[in-house]
This record gives sequence, structure tokens and C-alpha cells, in this order.
Amino acid sequence: MKKIFIIGAVAMIFTACRPNIQVNQNPSAGPTADFSNYLAIGNSLTAGYTDGSLTVSGQLHSYPAMLFGQFALIPPPHGAVGPFIQPLLKGDWGYPGPKYILGMTYNPCNPADSSLAPIPNTGASDSVNGDYHFVSGINNNQINNVGVPGIRAVDYKVAGYALYALTSRAPYAARFYNNVYGSPNDELVHVVGNLHPTFFTMWLGANDVLGYALAGGQGDGTGNATPALLPYFYGGSDISPLVAFDSCYDLALNTAISTGASGALINIPDITSIPFFTTVPANGLKLTRQGQADTLTAIYASHGITASFNVGANYFMIQDNAGKTRQAVPGELILLSVPDTSIKCHGWGSVNAAGVPMPIPNNYVLTTDEIQNIRTATTNFNAYIKYEANIHHLAYVDMNSYFTKLASGITYDGIHYSPAFVTGGAFSLDGVHPTQRGYALIANEIIRTINSFYKSNIPSVDINQYKGVTFP
Amino acid sequence: MKKQVLAAAFLLSAITTFGAGYQLNLQGIRQLAMGGTGAAWTWDASTIFYNPGGLGRMKNIQVYASGLTISPSTAFGNTIVNSSAVTQRQTFTPFNFYVGGPIQQDSKFALGLGIYTVAGIGLKWDDQWIGRYMVQSINLSAVCFQPTVAYRVNELISVGAGFVYATGSMDIRQALPVHGQNGPGGSADDDGTLHLHGSASGLGFNAGVQLKPSDNLQFGFTYRSQINMGVSNGTATFNVPQSLATSFPNTNFDTQLPLPQVATAGVAYRTLEDRLTLQFDLNYTGWNSYDSLRINFSTHTSSLQDNHAPRHYRNTLTPRAGANYKLGKVVSLMAGAAFEPTPVTNGFVSPDLPDADRVVGSVGVTIKPFPRFTILTACEGITTLTRNASYDFGGFSGTYKTQAITLGLGVYYNF
Repeated sequence: MKKIFIIGAVAMIFTACRPNIQVNQNPSAGPTADFSNYLAIGNSLTAGYTDGSLTVSGQLHSYPAMLFGQFALIPPPHGAVGPFIQPLLKGDWGYPGPKYILGMTYNPCNPADSSLAPIPNTGASDSVNGDYHFVSGINNNQINNVGVPGIRAVDYKVAGYALYALTSRAPYAARFYNNVYGSPNDELVHVVGNLHPTFFTMWLGANDVLGYALAGGQGDGTGNATPALLPYFYGGSDISPLVAFDSCYDLALNTAISTGASGALINIPDITSIPFFTTVPANGLKLTRQGQADTLTAIYASHGITASFNVGANYFMIQDNAGKTRQAVPGELILLSVPDTSIKCHGWGSVNAAGVPMPIPNNYVLTTDEIQNIRTATTNFNAYIKYEANIHHLAYVDMNSYFTKLASGITYDGIHYSPAFVTGGAFSLDGVHPTQRGYALIANEIIRTINSFYKSNIPSVDINQYKGVTFP
Repeated sequence: MKKQVLAAAFLLSAITTFGAGYQLNLQGIRQLAMGGTGAAWTWDASTIFYNPGGLGRMKNIQVYASGLTISPSTAFGNTIVNSSAVTQRQTFTPFNFYVGGPIQQDSKFALGLGIYTVAGIGLKWDDQWIGRYMVQSINLSAVCFQPTVAYRVNELISVGAGFVYATGSMDIRQALPVHGQNGPGGSADDDGTLHLHGSASGLGFNAGVQLKPSDNLQFGFTYRSQINMGVSNGTATFNVPQSLATSFPNTNFDTQLPLPQVATAGVAYRTLEDRLTLQFDLNYTGWNSYDSLRINFSTHTSSLQDNHAPRHYRNTLTPRAGANYKLGKVVSLMAGAAFEPTPVTNGFVSPDLPDADRVVGSVGVTIKPFPRFTILTACEGITTLTRNASYDFGGFSGTYKTQAITLGLGVYYNF
């Protein structure tokens, strides 16, 4: 009898024994913030650009889309309510050009040497024609994500920017601008007027230094770029003048907050830490025999150039901005855009087969002073963004510090992220823009800052549900 | 665009030891029912495990066999991402077998053999859970063979020792953060995976002394040595996108999975006209010799390197208490409890071993239908305290709670 009782008790324990962790953390907006109408302002990073192009998958996994999903977890009346309108493309081929995919490539001067590398997407375009004009059809063309690839803070005053972009740059703005003859700020006025955003994020300014860096520092780098082609349209391969940056940033920001929105301003990362600038080592000239080194030293000496070469890793020969040939020094950067075959087959960085010096052209090199120009401008721009955040009582997301942390490696939910090209997991195949997982890291850093500043309680995104680099 | 020889390099987070979560204290049914105590008193032939010295006090040769079922389940929750998970229900069946007794009637020498399960459970998370890049499932098992000799010096002192040969296996599955066209999640999930499987074996010993100052007061002291379960030529099977097949070749691996050393001191006291026996044991478990775990692959590539995961365990002191009450000549009742502090320090709580302080409660009944034959039953419930902890090596944190129910049935026969 006793035994039967015990067996019965055991059976009860069995059914009761199933541990359970309560994770209902009651998402909340905090005492002052209201996430019901969210607007994202920014450039390619905000649009969801990845793998060197824009695709519908990239847009659907943009960090603003992720943020909106988390804001929507907050109950009414301060949680986000749908829909979150982005100017979505139809396909994943890439717009307007093909995105990069990983594929096998062959070294033209040694066909046996093959490797996996980014190549342009193959197949037929699936977006350009059908998606040229985007009209949301909701709430007087409501758009919640006005991230425009390529746009700089200083472009916000340029009348006809969308038309100009259509003809000479990537035609993103023209796809969804209500008035292509207006300026980006006019568009922002229109969007803000329709949407009455209650909360916004603004991540502008990276392109104000990136254009200069991607062009190998070919502007004068002093921040004195002058308007070209159009009034207010500053040269795209130079650093934006600080005064113009400040006034345009202020203009866009005042438009964003004109209906009383609160929000978060995201600062500019140190772009020199991204894979586009760190993948090709400046000391990538490998010499195996002392004879090679002596020959190189002699050839450059005969041209009146002092350079020292040794067995092992040597710094490439480069051309600085004044056109002078010299050896790169530690800390200088070779761009990912440098043609691979030129280094492998034509002796770039050392000498060619005929013994002629072949310094890497200056548009593929960031020299020490150019790097300093980029860092100085980034520091100045960020100081202004922080100043604006302070005087307008907005959250300031220090993405610059976060990217610095990423540069030394971040381990998140079992994955180790680094800025290593392709293998690092955070940056996509263009070496500049993040992968979906990289964008998710960014979204969580924004959420962390918002929670801290607005005393809100917004859950983070589950980064592991997003894609990293796709391998064939 | 610079053409690169590309391969993903990332951390392999497979971390394994026979940590507390995999240690079973189920080697005797009566002792299980008494909170795991048993160093001081010789109840039956399972003393070969609990105190080899006690074998010297056996009056007859005894054959003992038991089988158990244990159903552990671990829940995880992370309030930062509002994510929760619970392991799939699995039932494991450890077993024990002992034979032993005096070499002849009234001899001071006794011989015995114990075959008992010291580890034999696992965890299985959903394949797509948030911690999958550290572990999807893990199974560790170990069975010990212990030939034992004991000598009763006099009525006060009995000593014994056994040589321990342990054999077992490990099986770990985890996802790798490389994927093909479909990406992670969903039915077309094509995350890479790694499956580690290997056999392990190791050597050690188990020694004890039992003191009997009077018929009603006994003491026991035992020491079970560390056993390094060496895995050699385990198989590492990768499933990765085709372009990474050369970066992650299927290969072999070696590793060490240590079973910790345990020193135990116990006391037993009999009272109430010999009806009630009370027992207290203290286990001192030496965990802190393992400050890291290495998995050494026999093939290396730029992506596949030996894995070195830091572990910082602390030694633990586990108090146990139990009682046995004789209702009559036939039936006895047992109950016990224990508190097992976790050896895993904060910052090292990984989801393959989400260990936490454990509270143990147990009950049992024995029935002796015939003079030489006894049936034993026991039921044990374990719950960990809810633990909010991180695993810094994997950048992972959350709240864990583990519960397990164990049922045991045993019989022994005295010749």
C-alpha cells in the first residue's frame, strides 16, 4: 500500500518537473520616449546596403527594420505600430549593380592558383526596371526609412540631389523622393510632415569622410572642398568642410525634431578600421631570397629612391599624394580596391618583369597624413554630433567606440566577430558595409544606448537568427 | 578587389568536462535514498563504491544489481533578448552491479568487484536555439570497473582499496557560424555543424577506512582519485558549405575529460532501539585542477585549430544527510537531503554545462521478503537554484534552472 502511494507521488513529481525560466521582461518605452512612429535617417548603412549593393533582403534586415521590430514589442500607446515602410526592391540580385557573392577566382598569371573571393553576382538583374519608382501608397507616401546610399550630411541642402544622383551616382534617392527637384532636406520636411515621427535615429556623416578615403585620399584633405557642378555640392572625393557639415547636420536634425520627436544620434566610426582598408597588408611584399631584395634595393637606388628590402615581409613601394615614390611606412593602408592582378602579375608595389619601378598608385593608398586627415575630420564631426545630442537632449550612440571594440574582436552569443574581411563575420563582401549579423550588432548597441538614455526597456535582437557571409 | 584565400576562422566552443552536472551519485539505491550518504555504514555490497573499507565488514558474499532512470531537464532564459529554451526530455538509465564478501566464513579478508555508472547523462537543446554555436547536444557517459580488496584489522578498523578502470564516451554536436544560401533558422537551415564523438578511458583508485568504535557509532573516510578520461582518435565530423570543405576536413581529435578526485568523511549513528540510523557525509571534491580544456585535432587548417577553452573550477564541499528507519523485519524507510555547491564560477557557466548549486531530496523503501533477499527502491529529486550567469568566453549569458527526477530499483542476495 505504501509503495503504491509512493509510486503515485513519483508520478506527480514527474509531471511537475519541467523547469521554466520566465523571460517576460515587460518591454517599456520609459518615462519620456514614444516609439509609436519611428523614422530612420541616414545613408547606405541605414538603407541596409550590404555586399556592395542594395537588395530586398538587405533592406528587410536593415538595422532600422530590426529596431522597429524591437520597438513593436513595447505595448501601446508608446510601442511601434506598423507598418514600417521601406522603399523595398523586388529582388536580391542587387540594385542598380550586382551585389558581390563568393565564387572561385583564378590568378591570371598562374591559373593553377584559385581561391574563393568576392565576384559580381551572376544571372539577370531582378530589380532595376520594375522597382525604379517606389510609391508606398500608404498615408500620403509614408516612408519610415530614408536611408539613401551615398548621401552625406552636406548633401542635405543640394537642390535636385535626387536627379543628380540619378545621372551620376547610384540612383537611390530618385526611387522614392517625393520631389526629385527638391533637396534631401525638403524630402525630410515632407516625410516628417506626413509621419509626425515620435522617435527617430540619425546616422549621417560617414560618407563625409568615406568618399575621400575610398578615393585613396585624392582630395586635398583639408576640409576645404569646394562646391562642384551644383551649388552646395561639394567634391565627392574630398572630406566635407566642417562648417558645411555642421550647418547641414543641424538643418537635417532640426527638421527631424520639428514635430517634437525624441531620438538617437549615431556618430561616425573610425572608417580606417574597416576591412576595405585593413585587408591588404602594407607590408605584403614577400621576398624569399636575399638576391631579390638586393636587386630591388639597387633598382630603386638607381632612380634616386632610398628603400630597403630584406628576406621576408617588406613594405610595398607606393606613390604618395604629391606623386613621389617611396616605401610605405607602418600604419599606412592599401585599399581593397587595388587590382589583384596588378600586384600578382604586374609587380605593383615593387618592380615589373622588365625591372621598372611600379609603385602602387596613390588612389589605392592612404598615407599617414591622409589617415590623420580622416581621423581629424571624424573627431570634429563627432564632436559636433555629440554637441547637438547634448543641446537637444537626444541619445548619443557612440558607434565609434563600438567599432573600436569590434576591431579587437567581440564575442556575442557564441560567435566571435572581428573586422577581418569575410572571415570576421561582421563585414560583408564589399569590405565597408556590415553583414546582417553586423547590422544586428549595431542595432543592439543602439538599443543599449536608448535604454540607458531614455530609461526604456527594449529587448535586444537575437543576432544568431540573421545571416553572416553566405558561402557557396 | 583583392582576391583572398578565404576560410572562416572562429571559435570552437565545444567545452566538456565531467562537471558536476554529469556526475552521478547513484551508485547505491539505499544510499541514494539517504541523500547520497554511505561512507560510514556498511549497508550492502555497494559499499565497494561508497567505502571499500566497509567490504571488510560484510558477513556473506553478496550479489547486488540495480538499475535507474534519470530524466534531467534544463531551462534557459535571457531577458535581454527575450529568449527562452528548454532541453528536450531525455531519460538515461545508469546501472550498478556489485559482488563481494569475505573470502571465507569469518575471514578478515574480503574481495569484491563493482561495476557502476559515474556519469551517464546529457542535454539536448533544439537545434536552432540561441546557444547553438556552443552546443546543440551533449552526452557524456562513464562506467567504472573496480576490483576491490578489504581487510578487517580488528573490530575497530577495516580498510579497503580498489583499482578503478573507467570507460565511457562523449558525443557533442554544435552549430558552426558558417552557412550557405539559406542561412540559419527555419526548415532549410544550412548552418554548418560539428559532431565530436569519441571513446574515453582512464585509471584511478578508490580507497577507504571504516572505524567502528561501537555498534551504534561508525566513521568512514574515503578517497577516490581523479580519473583522467583520455579520448584518443575521436571523430570530428564537419558539415559545412562545399566551398569550405577543405577548411574543415573531417578529422580525429584527442582530449581529456577529467573525473574529479573526491575525499569523503562520514559518520553514522544508530539509535531508538536500533531502528533509526542517521548518517552525515561531507564530500570534498577537487575540481580546481582543471583550468582549461583542450581539444587537439589531428589535422589543422587556417580555420581549424586546436581548441582551448578556459575553465576555472573551484573545489566544493558537499554536505549530505540521510536516515534509515526500520519499520519492522521486512520494511525500512529512508529519506535524505544534500546541498551540492557548484564548482563552476561565474563567467564560466556555459550552456553545455549550465551548472548551479543543487538541492537534493530523496526517499526510498526497502523490503526484505525473504531472509537473504532484499528489494530496494528510491526516488530522488534534484533542482538547481535559479542561476543568472555568463559564459564570457562565448559572450553568452542567461538564467538557467535544471531539474531531474531519478527512480531506482535494486535487489541483492546474500549467499
